[in-house]
Amino acid sequence: MNNNQASTQQKLLIVGNGMAAGRMVDELIARDPHRFSITVIGDEPHGSYNRIMLSPVLSGESTALSIIQKPAAWYAENGMRFLAGVKVVRINRAQKTVDCDNGEQVEYDHLIMATGSRPARIPAKNQDLTGVMAFRTLDDVDTILALGETAKHAIVIGGGLLGLEAAYGMAVRGIDVTLVHRSGWLLNRQLDSASGALLEQVMAHKGVRFRLSREVVSFNGNRRVESATLTGGETLPCDIAVIATGITPNAELGFEAGLEGKRGIEVNDYLATSDPAISAIGECSEHNGETFGLVEPIWQHCTSLADRLALNVRTAYKNMPVATKLKVSGVQVFSAGDWLTTDQHREVVYQDVARNIYRKLLLKNNRIVGIVFFGDVRDGQYFFELMEHGVVVTQALPQLLMGRAFCSEVPQAAASKEVAAA
Amino acid sequence: MSSLIATASAAEQQQTHQTTCCYCGVGCGVTATIENNAVVAVKGRDDHPANFGRLCVKGSSLHQTQHSPDRLLKPRLHGNDVSWDEALDYSAKKFNDIIAEHGPDAVAFYLSGQLLTEDYYIANKLIKGFIGTANVDTNSRLCMASAVVAHKRAFGNDAVPGCYEDLEKTDVLILVGSNAAYAHPVTFQRIVKAKQERPQMKVVVLDPRRTPTCDIADIHIPLAPGSDAYFFNGLLSYLASHNHLDQNYIEQFTEGFEAALEIAQTQSGSVQAVAQVCDVAAPLIEQVFALFAKNEKVVTVFSQGINQSSSGVDKGNAIINCHLATGKIGKEGATPFSITGQPNAMGGREVGGLANQLAAHMGFDKQDDIDRVANFWQATNMAQKEGLKAVDMFKAVDEGKIKAIWIMATNPVVSMPDADFVKRALEKCDLVMVSEAIADTDTAKTADVLLPATTWSEKHGTVTNSERCISLQKGFLPPPGEAKHDWDIMAIFARKMGFSEGFNYVHQAEIFREHAALSALDNPRARAFDISAMADISNDQYDALEPIQWPVTAQEPKGTKRLFSDGYYFTPSSKAKFIAITARLPVQPPKSDEVIMNTGRIRDQWHTMSRTGTSANLLSHTEEPYIDIHPDDAKRLALAENELVELSNRGARYLGRVKINTAQRIGEVFAPMHWNNKYAASSRADALVNPFTDPICGQPEFKHSPVKIRPHATTWTGFLVTTKDLQPACDYWAKMTSDIGYRYRLAGVDVVDYSTWLKQQYPEVTDWQELTDSEQQHYRAAGYCNNALVVVFNAEQGKAMPQEGRWLDKQLGGELDDVTRYAILAGNEGNGGADDGAIICSCYQIGENVIKEAIVAGCHSAQALGETLKCGTNCGSCIPELNALIQQIEASV
Repeated sequence: MNNNQASTQQKLLIVGNGMAAGRMVDELIARDPHRFSITVIGDEPHGSYNRIMLSPVLSGESTALSIIQKPAAWYAENGMRFLAGVKVVRINRAQKTVDCDNGEQVEYDHLIMATGSRPARIPAKNQDLTGVMAFRTLDDVDTILALGETAKHAIVIGGGLLGLEAAYGMAVRGIDVTLVHRSGWLLNRQLDSASGALLEQVMAHKGVRFRLSREVVSFNGNRRVESATLTGGETLPCDIAVIATGITPNAELGFEAGLEGKRGIEVNDYLATSDPAISAIGECSEHNGETFGLVEPIWQHCTSLADRLALNVRTAYKNMPVATKLKVSGVQVFSAGDWLTTDQHREVVYQDVARNIYRKLLLKNNRIVGIVFFGDVRDGQYFFELMEHGVVVTQALPQLLMGRAFCSEVPQAAASKEVAAA
Repeated sequence: MSSLIATASAAEQQQTHQTTCCYCGVGCGVTATIENNAVVAVKGRDDHPANFGRLCVKGSSLHQTQHSPDRLLKPRLHGNDVSWDEALDYSAKKFNDIIAEHGPDAVAFYLSGQLLTEDYYIANKLIKGFIGTANVDTNSRLCMASAVVAHKRAFGNDAVPGCYEDLEKTDVLILVGSNAAYAHPVTFQRIVKAKQERPQMKVVVLDPRRTPTCDIADIHIPLAPGSDAYFFNGLLSYLASHNHLDQNYIEQFTEGFEAALEIAQTQSGSVQAVAQVCDVAAPLIEQVFALFAKNEKVVTVFSQGINQSSSGVDKGNAIINCHLATGKIGKEGATPFSITGQPNAMGGREVGGLANQLAAHMGFDKQDDIDRVANFWQATNMAQKEGLKAVDMFKAVDEGKIKAIWIMATNPVVSMPDADFVKRALEKCDLVMVSEAIADTDTAKTADVLLPATTWSEKHGTVTNSERCISLQKGFLPPPGEAKHDWDIMAIFARKMGFSEGFNYVHQAEIFREHAALSALDNPRARAFDISAMADISNDQYDALEPIQWPVTAQEPKGTKRLFSDGYYFTPSSKAKFIAITARLPVQPPKSDEVIMNTGRIRDQWHTMSRTGTSANLLSHTEEPYIDIHPDDAKRLALAENELVELSNRGARYLGRVKINTAQRIGEVFAPMHWNNKYAASSRADALVNPFTDPICGQPEFKHSPVKIRPHATTWTGFLVTTKDLQPACDYWAKMTSDIGYRYRLAGVDVVDYSTWLKQQYPEVTDWQELTDSEQQHYRAAGYCNNALVVVFNAEQGKAMPQEGRWLDKQLGGELDDVTRYAILAGNEGNGGADDGAIICSCYQIGENVIKEAIVAGCHSAQALGETLKCGTNCGSCIPELNALIQQIEASV
């Protein structure tokens, strides 16, 4: 890189090195590899890795090495500066600098906040006992695996995607796992009670026990966790307790610098914060009151922001329904849009109890507004597109629910989108 | 070597037998091929005079209806399997007790044109000669009774003058009330061929409906229902006024002409008068009159449209009058010709198996006849008077006057007029005995004693067809289970009643010889029916009997084609009698809010379907009960094609699909007579028929029933494809048979929760696959027992009929993979059944099989797969699996 070029380059600083940051640099390079002088500061020691794949690593279906997408050397090879294991402690918006916990100060012309999130806290006592932990990072996986060498009993708190994946990961490693969930059924943000019950049945076959409609009141033990007491009084023995009850945006750094936002750092449709020199993406951000936990909208954050910064093109980010997938071997879940049936919905359900298959479509005004598939998610994406494009589907019912293959006339998402536009 | 031996033994196992079809009155010869004790093929017998090698679709399917799952194999007493002795001891004692207390007129037999002559003979002998009542009637009453009496009145005996050949050799063929194309298909084919060979031959059809028979008609006269006698009275007047009478014939061979002509002229003195009553244009009528008048060779074929009427006898005589007045009788190509419905209606008439006949063409009107028969039989208790005819017989059952009835080989709960009344009457009768081959006919369900009878291919004996041709219906298979021949059952029963003499037969030929000997008594020239030349045939000759037309006498040992050729009739004066006919219209004209229901056959079913209904092939032509209705009526009643319609009368309902058909006259509908409670919920057309009968012969007026009509109040429609034979609990259902199970079309009036409804029909099923809709617009379900598919149910709100694919039929009973289980509810195979395989890329729903194909096609990296299929390009979590698949496939190449 010559000086001339260096002097024209803008200094782009990305705080955080999770999946959003990793994708962000890819998107920027793809548009214009020389536009920015990029610095990435991450508090984890690794390069950017695919956090979604932590579950397969835990269950032994993938290795830690295979999920690291950008090893530390990659940044230098691509002309970037990468500060690993470093934490930013302060943003000086007036000076356009940040202060790091290693004493370094880094300048920026534009700052991207990609600080992600952390596990939400639960109201249980004694969460500081050894063995009470989150399931969020490669380090967490290492810890669980290390404890797992000797651990006999584990509890997982939280019956969402992450909790189920953690429970499954430990169960396949031979640990006796009980999952404690506050709601009456699993994946209660994605499934209805019927499909949740099917999921419970399938997970039970994989060796996971459940305590539903229960919370942990306290962890018990002397330095190391030995048991957990639940609402209702039951006490379960445990050598590991993994808390996976959701996430809290890491927005404090931004708030302390005066950026606006309620739960996350507030951004507009182009991912700009209340300071035009600062953008925010991923799980630390908040858009129209929504925060984020799944990967698809975050990829949209990255493309929208890259278009604006690298090409000066305005691509509005829109909050769209997102399909949920559960990464537990042999369990297929697909959920998007509404998932609980109300009086406002027309509900069409296909159920094959013997084969653990459940497929529900929720309709309003003859259009799909919710999809809950369990056990067989074929054509899920197709339904998702029909939903996104507001295609009228009632003519194709009820065949449609069996899949496109059985319909003589298949509703086309793309075609009707044009019609809608016209 | 071993394979050669196997072939040889297989060939030895295959045998052919000459027999006769068991369906209609045409009486076709059949060559049946037997292998391993089963009929494996049938074909028309080339040298049989009825069919010369042809067979209709019903006859061609005889081998497919051999293995009814509902075959009755053991005697049953009050629903329990019992021994023959138990069943018949009970019945015989009950008969004796009832006779002892109430007299012989408190018992009755109800027989069938399906019985063989030998069966009929024993029934007649037992009840008239030994039990001592003439309460024996037959379903021929519903079919032939009018023609029988018309023949007797005109000719002195019940004898059809002509033969099938006359239908081919005539110059003018008039078919009256005959849809031969459906009811007598082989005879019809002979007519078609004759007309092709001689296009100058004229065919005229008189029928309120434009039936398929009209396809070959030069003239169709769509006359008002029941107006036939006006037409033929008009013809007689026309013949007289246009000088077309055969005065010689009238003077030499007939009597009563003047009186007959006078009434004819009074009622139908002009073509205009006929045109008005018949509701047909005068020139059309005059054309037919002229054809009749100007041609020597004229045949008038008449069938149920004439017979099934409250004035059927008169109609028959009105026709015969015209032939007598012109001498068009007893000559080649010139005859009135009554064509019978059943295979052995004629045989039953020969032995006198009707309440108003005695035996061998003798009657109760002559004491000499009664005594002659009594002596011949050495009867211990000879009946002295006529018994009750069918309709009156069931009325007497209802009134408790008849306390024991034995029904053989027929299904009156379906076929009788006012059939619901018949059902109720039987349900309260002290003793109902039913001899049947099929265990669960509507009538069998009313039986106290149910007796397993042999059927076609097992029974051995003779039948007589419409042209007086006696043929052997051969028994070549052993009776299944404990089934016995009808004559044998009756003979055992007779002995158990205490009649030790007179019922000790061991071979059918003994009965036949006795029957032939009776026909010879004090004959010739006394009675038309004379088969004296056969009174001494050996058992072997009998077993190899070739078709032969009676009379069979010393003078005519090879049988007789035509009767009355010499002008000799069997009346006291030896002259044919004109009958003065005052034509009458049907008893009850329709009210303003009614239509006239006509009933009849469809092409591929026989009677009440207990045999033909089991063949998927035969049912596939017309799967559901229906009505034909004129477009104007459909419009007036707001009925759409295929919609369900409800006809009602006498508290009974007929449900069927609307077929809009210009072949119907306005104000008239046609309903097929075949459907019954085994095949449909509420489609027994005969239940709507008024029990009006001909005052002379007792034949009911099946062809003219004023009924109310309205669209069925369908709220939901659906179908069941299932292995289970059930009676679904909904307002309308119709059953169809498939090779594996059944298909039902359903329609409900009451709104039901489909899921609950279905599970009530199938309490035994626990493995359900279901598609529900909160708006109840759609419902689909499939049920499995031990992984095998037992039922598929589809329901839709509204009147539109969901289409069930034939593909579903074949899935029944099978264990199905996951993809096929989807297809079951979709109702079709899908697009070639392509399976994408287990989903590998969840984000883009890319299946394993699709990915493998792409790898084989050249995608050697996860990136290349992503570019082709998009898999792995979103969350990336499937990339390890993509790589693993690539390695796996490249390793295997």
